[in-house]
Amino acid sequence: MIRHWTEKMVLIFSWAATVLLCLSVSVFLGYLLLRGFSSLSLELIFGQSDPLMALLGRVRVFEGILPAIAGTICLVGLSAGFALPVGVCAGIYLAEYAGTSMKKLLGLLFDILAGIPSIVIGLFGFSLAVFLHRHFHGRVGPCLLISALSLAVLVLPYIVRSTQRSLEELPAGIRKTAIALGAGKLQNIVYVLVPNALSGISSGIILAIGRCAEDTAVILLTGVVATAGIPSSLLSQYEALPFYIYYISNQYSSRAELTQGYGACLILLAICAVLFMLAYGMTRHLSYRTLYRA
Amino acid sequence: MKDRQFNLGLMETRYKIIVKGVKFFYGRNQVLNDIHANFAEHAITAITGPSGQGKSTLLGLFNCMWDEIPGARCSGEIQIRLGDKWVSPLKKDIPMPLLRRKVALVFQEPNPLPMSIARNMAFPLMLAGVRDKSLVREKVQRALRQAFLWEEVKNHLEKSAVELSGGQKQRLCIARALVLEPEVLLCDEPTSSLDTKAAGIIEDLLVSLRSQCTLLVVSHYMEQVRRVADEVMTLQDQTLRRT
Repeated sequence: MIRHWTEKMVLIFSWAATVLLCLSVSVFLGYLLLRGFSSLSLELIFGQSDPLMALLGRVRVFEGILPAIAGTICLVGLSAGFALPVGVCAGIYLAEYAGTSMKKLLGLLFDILAGIPSIVIGLFGFSLAVFLHRHFHGRVGPCLLISALSLAVLVLPYIVRSTQRSLEELPAGIRKTAIALGAGKLQNIVYVLVPNALSGISSGIILAIGRCAEDTAVILLTGVVATAGIPSSLLSQYEALPFYIYYISNQYSSRAELTQGYGACLILLAICAVLFMLAYGMTRHLSYRTLYRA
Repeated sequence: MKDRQFNLGLMETRYKIIVKGVKFFYGRNQVLNDIHANFAEHAITAITGPSGQGKSTLLGLFNCMWDEIPGARCSGEIQIRLGDKWVSPLKKDIPMPLLRRKVALVFQEPNPLPMSIARNMAFPLMLAGVRDKSLVREKVQRALRQAFLWEEVKNHLEKSAVELSGGQKQRLCIARALVLEPEVLLCDEPTSSLDTKAAGIIEDLLVSLRSQCTLLVVSHYMEQVRRVADEVMTLQDQTLRRT
């Protein structure tokens, strides 16, 4: 009887927790839509500039958030570009090649790295920027490249751990089959293990993309500014949506400006959603190409 | 079976595999002790015995799959004649991928890779570096026909191999092993997870393969052993005896 009630209580609690979670997400999204939807317009993105001319780079956008959108996309692309190959290769090494003690040691180091607050990594990036500034006689300072490198370090543990875990969780049957068919270790990894672990790896990539898009502390110290225009090079300063949201919510002078901040939040969420879908679609396509295409 | 044994006895027996004084350990636990045996070419040799005696382990020695098990140790000598050359897998005088292509292993549980049927079949050829698409198609089709599977799958080769029935999966695994034209086919209880009808098809398949390769089949089922085997060996108390 007691067991029956305990089971029922656990079920009710689990159900309530799930409902609470869904409710929180709905309230959060609903609130953002309520406050920001009215500001969603071409004017929010392009300001007073002509959208086509702005997109072609013929005119500079001063009041809109186009430079911040471009900065965010560049930042996410660059950070993911730096972190992905390193993270996936490190994950493969940990799962397939490292001995037990090496696995423990490196696992511990990556866990420590995952636990470092982003502001500390930002400070490290800032120090690097100062060093480069001195070394290159003022030609290099806080910039898009340093922000991207710092963010790559920040998200590296997610990619490493998700790659390692998804490879280690593959059934022994899959692991042995290719070996028994004459595959070498590398062939087994490339043709069987990684394609079959892609869905797990992609969840790490999605987490990393989300973190790159939203983190403000790192970029605050490494190159983001309020007005820089669309980034022209890796060594230029840039604008980014998280910083725009932070800045406008601190400095707004009218209700309309705050509403623009909420609108920017919605656009940031939409960019993240598009990037997630892109990452998901790419991994699915890659998985199909390697496993099912004739 | 007796007729086949008689025929084998009349001819000078040509051995494919010679095992001398093999011992095998998982850590400190000894599984095989002083195994001596000769396996005739183009014959089906069944290895029987109670569970947990190391039958699958013995099978795994011939294509060095034991090498993948952490803490495993093996001593003694195994010689396998591949073409006209004798190789000693335990001495690693042949690259492991090459050995495993010539001495193919079919596992107890059907284990198609989570890929399409076509990819599963072409996979060993791709690993072996065969790039000619028409040659791959020809070899795949031939192996599927040999495994009595072609007619059932020819119209949906893009379907996931995991969706096949148990018997079809096992035949696919045998066909996948055959696509490399192995000289020795090791089958570890190939019918243990199948119903009687599917098991019957696999038995017919094994018998039909005798002309092209040497088969070593681990099996619990004495009836099956009597039906298919030319020679029977029993593994018990860490040693292998001819029955």
